[in-house]
Amino acid sequence: MSVRGRRVEVVLIYQSLLGLYGDRGNAIVLIKRLAWRGYEPVLTHVEPGDPLPDTGAVYLLGGGEDAAQVSAVRALKADGGLYRAVDRGAAILAVCAGYQIVGNSFTVGYQDEVISGLGLLDVTTTRGPVRAVGEIISRWNGRDGDDQWLTGFENHGGYTRLGPGVQPLAAIEIGVGNCNDGTEGAVAGTVIGTYPHGPVLARNPALADHILELALGHELEPLVRPEITKLRRQRLARVRRLHARNPLRVQSA
Amino acid sequence: MSRVRLPSLTPGASSVVGKSESGTDCRWRLDDLLPDRSPMTAMSVSTARLSAATFAGRLVGTASRLSRRGTGASIRGKVMLKIDPSALSKLLAGKRIAVVSGTNGKTTTTHLLAAALRESLGPDSGRLVHNADGANLHHGLTSALSEHPEADIAILESDERVVADVIKLGRPEVLVLLNFSRDQLDRHHEIKSLGRSWRMALAAAGPGGPVVVANADEPLVVWAAKAAEHVIWVDTATTWTQDSSLCPECDANLIRVQPDPASGQDADWYCTGCGLARPKGDYRVESGTIVDRAHHVWDPHLSVPGRFNINNAACALAAAELMGVDAGTALKGMRKVTSPAGRFATAQFGSTTARLLLAKNPAGWAEALPLAQSRTVVLAIDSAAADGRDVSWLWDVEYEQLAGRSVIATGRRAQDLAVRLRYAEVDYRCIPDLAEALANHTKPVDVIATYTPFQRLRRMGRV
Repeated sequence: MSVRGRRVEVVLIYQSLLGLYGDRGNAIVLIKRLAWRGYEPVLTHVEPGDPLPDTGAVYLLGGGEDAAQVSAVRALKADGGLYRAVDRGAAILAVCAGYQIVGNSFTVGYQDEVISGLGLLDVTTTRGPVRAVGEIISRWNGRDGDDQWLTGFENHGGYTRLGPGVQPLAAIEIGVGNCNDGTEGAVAGTVIGTYPHGPVLARNPALADHILELALGHELEPLVRPEITKLRRQRLARVRRLHARNPLRVQSA
Repeated sequence: MSRVRLPSLTPGASSVVGKSESGTDCRWRLDDLLPDRSPMTAMSVSTARLSAATFAGRLVGTASRLSRRGTGASIRGKVMLKIDPSALSKLLAGKRIAVVSGTNGKTTTTHLLAAALRESLGPDSGRLVHNADGANLHHGLTSALSEHPEADIAILESDERVVADVIKLGRPEVLVLLNFSRDQLDRHHEIKSLGRSWRMALAAAGPGGPVVVANADEPLVVWAAKAAEHVIWVDTATTWTQDSSLCPECDANLIRVQPDPASGQDADWYCTGCGLARPKGDYRVESGTIVDRAHHVWDPHLSVPGRFNINNAACALAAAELMGVDAGTALKGMRKVTSPAGRFATAQFGSTTARLLLAKNPAGWAEALPLAQSRTVVLAIDSAAADGRDVSWLWDVEYEQLAGRSVIATGRRAQDLAVRLRYAEVDYRCIPDLAEALANHTKPVDVIATYTPFQRLRRMGRV
């Protein structure tokens, strides 16, 4: 079947609430990677109060502050569209605060108020002992070769514990990840949660293509962009070098 | 509209609580450390300590400058505060002070305000001290003030994190709050917490606090400023709205009304949950002009470019009038500002002529990108501490608007920008070395840089 002209809808959820760290970037990456392969991608922005479309192939949730998280989870529960999307087998990428709100519960504020999440991933988030801020490198479970290295920047105060209903996305090499337990992110079916925020897909094109493959239900032809390969090489080398010098925290560039 | 009565200045009323370098209170008074508690001796020891600190600061500052490590301002202030932790409050005491803060435009606005006051002072302009180099933390302020101990008027740019301390220590007469947007999120995890610190400091200052000149288009600024006794609102027609979608007071959704020139609809915002709403402007920016409190329309004719600088000038004008300068004189002074701390400066790099623009965050880039009109545009990105260590913000900037131009990506994070430009389908060349990126352009180029490469370019171009 030719892909040319095939419509694929990417839904960017609540940028005004969950768009703190360049999270729009993940949508740009998915849209372009589809377009470069001949698909006809459509980007749909949804704000609180607008219904989530039932036609999306991929749904994206990004980072935000406490009050925004509470507001977003309330609106998403009222809408219900994200549950239907998961039932249809659409792919969900939930990053940082977005990752926390798709879990069972998370806490906000200095009083650690517990807020119930969407329950799409069997994970629970509570305030951690220290805020995790810095470069992160993890090893993607089940992958090999260069693709296995996931590189990004994490910045979160909540620590996430995985329940039996999910698998970790990756194993931590450098950074904090879920809760300093050696795991990073969580996967259940077509729902992926991860801490490296913002344009995590820009630095990890294999993860971007994996999400598209989950959504489309078939493999994609490889797409090599030399500048991305070079950026990955640079970031991985730089962060490893800084980590060797100061294993406590790689915050610097 | 009644004129705001200025709080009278009480020299020496400043707190003598010392400040450590980290900005935390040292919970002792200088007097407590002295064996003899007689006021005379305490005063002379206190003065002696400040003099010793100033002398030592000057030595290391000069050494730093001679070794070409920098301007020497920062290290000078650090050494001074080490020797005399209360140096900043001592230097602030007794002066008439105006402070400018906000995420973007602090340096330019402070230069505009200082120029307005200088114009009014005429031959007495030596009475004014101004941290013109943009060093705006505790040590930067201390250093600048110590350079001109004889000055009795201080026009100070203050980092957002230092505003609360300056209100407490310096009891400024006027405080200008420009705007609030995401910046260096690796360091400031929550934008609102900075607004909260301003709000608390203004509430604590009470009736003796500063008259606040505040941007009415920024909900977080309005929320913070409302804690002050006296506020002059400036309607700036700010268009950046991406950093405030929830009400800072009650967390309900904010409704934004976009301006529509066709129907005459002004920009507006209000909260759906509580009464917080955009206040009516005392000053207004309207189609490139500034309308003052007396409804007089001023054509600013600034020498610095950009619509956002007219907003900055409107705030500076309001502050200048509060300090007693008439609008005509203030604007005459402001027009003399051409390249505050190197911003908008044109410099020579070998045979290349380049104009330097600074952009530190998505809101700043949204203003700077439309200014860059050269056929070839050089974009310099770094992620040192002063730039923010996380470059995710590159994806919040609409580089797509550069399509069709020739772009050079440079700086230590040039490759991150290269990937961003690839996805924006903008043609680019990646030349990480700054000097190489600027070499041999036959036509003038505009350069937009984050903080660290911007400072390097200023040194390279001697501006």
